[in-house]
Amino acid sequence: MATRSSPVSSASSIEISLLDRILDRWQKINSNYVVRTIIQALITVWAVITFTFFLIRLMPGNPIQVYVAQLMNAESITYEEAYGRAAAQFRFDFNASPVEQYFDYLGNLLRLDLGDSIISVGTPVISQIMRFLPWTLFSAGLGLLVSFVTGFVLGMLMAYYRNSPLDHILSFISSLMSAVPNYIWGLMIMVVFGVQLQWFSVGDLRGTYDPRLTPAFTPEFIFDIFKHALLPVITYVLGTVGSWMLSTKSSTVSVLGEDYVNVAEARGLSERRILTAYVGRNAALPLFTLLAISIGFVIGGSVLIESLFVYNGLGNFLFQSITGRDYTSMQGVFLFITFSVVLSNLLADLLYARLDPRIRVSGEK
Amino acid sequence: MNDEIVLKVEDLSVIYNSSRGPVRATSNVSFELRKGEALALIGESGSGKTTLSLALIRMLAKSAEINAGKVLYTRDGKTRNILDMNDGEMRAFRWNDCAMVFQGAQNAFNPVLRIRDQFLDTARAHGRNDKEWLRQRTLELFKLVRLDPQRVFDSYPHELSGGMRQRTLLALGVLLDPQIVILDEPTTALDILTQRAIIDVLNEMQTRLNFSIIFISHDLALAAEMADRVATMYAGEIVEIGGVNQIFYEPLHPYTLGLLRSVPKLSHGQDELVSITGNPPNLIDPPSGCKFHPRCQFASEKCSREAPPLTEYDAGHQSACWHVDKVIEARKDLYKKKVTES
Ligand SMILES: Nc1ncnc2c1ncn2[C@@H]1O[C@H](COP(=O)(O)OP(=O)(O)O)[C@@H](O)[C@H]1O
Ligand SMILES: [Mg+2]
Repeated sequence: MATRSSPVSSASSIEISLLDRILDRWQKINSNYVVRTIIQALITVWAVITFTFFLIRLMPGNPIQVYVAQLMNAESITYEEAYGRAAAQFRFDFNASPVEQYFDYLGNLLRLDLGDSIISVGTPVISQIMRFLPWTLFSAGLGLLVSFVTGFVLGMLMAYYRNSPLDHILSFISSLMSAVPNYIWGLMIMVVFGVQLQWFSVGDLRGTYDPRLTPAFTPEFIFDIFKHALLPVITYVLGTVGSWMLSTKSSTVSVLGEDYVNVAEARGLSERRILTAYVGRNAALPLFTLLAISIGFVIGGSVLIESLFVYNGLGNFLFQSITGRDYTSMQGVFLFITFSVVLSNLLADLLYARLDPRIRVSGEK
Repeated sequence: MNDEIVLKVEDLSVIYNSSRGPVRATSNVSFELRKGEALALIGESGSGKTTLSLALIRMLAKSAEINAGKVLYTRDGKTRNILDMNDGEMRAFRWNDCAMVFQGAQNAFNPVLRIRDQFLDTARAHGRNDKEWLRQRTLELFKLVRLDPQRVFDSYPHELSGGMRQRTLLALGVLLDPQIVILDEPTTALDILTQRAIIDVLNEMQTRLNFSIIFISHDLALAAEMADRVATMYAGEIVEIGGVNQIFYEPLHPYTLGLLRSVPKLSHGQDELVSITGNPPNLIDPPSGCKFHPRCQFASEKCSREAPPLTEYDAGHQSACWHVDKVIEARKDLYKKKVTES
């Protein structure tokens, strides 16, 4: 401050005041909650991308080296030939320095160029991802939504009637359910209803839709899509609804103990208004954050379920890539998963700030 | 103030069913509240003040049971027993007729709603949907409690200090023009200056709006300042009730006398403060006869046998004690020293 008001401002003091202003500016930007959260997310993404680069290109025994050795073995070609093929599929110039390679890699990512698939020769990884992603978003997203809504409603019921027989029964069921991993649910559905009871034909429900139908916005086709997604969706719901119930219950119980709920009753508000605007809204705050975060785990969580039901989503694609040692596809999907986890965390933070005025305002000031 | 009675409590008893047995938190309490008057309930913590006030708006804990008595409420010449109201009537009664400031309620406001929306909620719950009326009324009340009206109106609760929130709550309390406002230790969480300000505001509000107050406090100085009449509670019973000067200068019950002696400000010039010996009684298995007798300096054999009834000794001044004469004798020194000093 003193430097700025000094009448004989030398060059250095101008620099200092400039630095001051930049710092000042930075502080203002940084104190803005939204901007700060976005910057943090970008830094995380960059760190992961860079880490992946080192892991895949430069680490001893990295996937590229493994792939080159594999190629040489399988097709009895020279090291140079194999290395050239790998470089083309992974999109890098093996004559360039590591620094140049790094910037090429960043540039490719910015253009969404994740290289070519090794198994499906000539197909870019990104188009594979785009082909399978919608199915996973649809089935796992639907599962998440149904599970969240069901868990929230049941959890609130448990909290409202806590210590009643209803609460005890639901608590028992939900603890049991949340202790069983979702692929166990999938297997049980498969074995009990598919194989033993024969309620459905396991073979018919494979894939995302009946290949005899042409994709179109016809009721028949849409119904078929839901039919094929049904088993994965049920599995996701069974695997997660228990923990939604338990989190909702504990969140609601703590809100029910808050002064403002009591005061709202003393104010003569209707039970419905108290339930929605006073209890529900506050109880949902932490759960929305959890919900947004779980969106990021949709793809990772779908790997086993989709391969179990042979549902052609991104999870199944990753599973196939791993078993087929399709390193470019694996790299692509892993980067994509990272990105979606970071993005959903960002979403969670921003959503929380939107919903909770305490954060919103302190961030803006 | 006039003689019109808005609330008449008769023989009210409340029991909490606890794991160790029934807790007799309030026993056979009777009193009247007149229009525009402030009645203070004083007594150590655990004496049943909160329980009594919660019973009046039927917001007791689930484990509680009102097992005897009547609470007669009169408005516009119509008298109803609050204990007979159904859920709908009860909901309508709350806040519209009787507003309550709970003990220790730091977060009386929903953190995710603006203050104006919480005022609106309250008005709507009682069938007042006119937003313009609400706005005018709220801003007026904010001025009365000395808040910056427009700023508070648009604020979220966390943007207000503890003192401001308490004033906002007072404004909300009188929004619908209730006949009764119950304040359970409304200032204990606040610093001394804020306490002062709240009490001033409250006095001014009462003069302007002419509602009746039930003011609960274990701070006798505050009670003395707020109240027209005072009731002393001990072990769930009212043991003495009278005008504010009667209670503070001419107490007729040994427990009230003990309370006065244990407070520095009121026991002017007294050489030393004397606190009441012993502990508050166990309300699951209370002492026989007069519940205060194990701690009482005047207790006789009769006191442990027979409970003294609340009896009128001066106009409007009742005490439940077998040895009022001894109290009168003993209070002289409290009284005399005050006179010689002033
Ligand atoms: N929910 C409850 N369950 C059981 N006992 C209670 C409950 N609330 C209060 N009590 C008991 O009732 C008595 C009176 O308490 P309270 O009305 O809070 O007194 P005060 O407001 O004068 O401090 C105390 O002995 C207390 O322990
Ligand atoms: Mg109390």
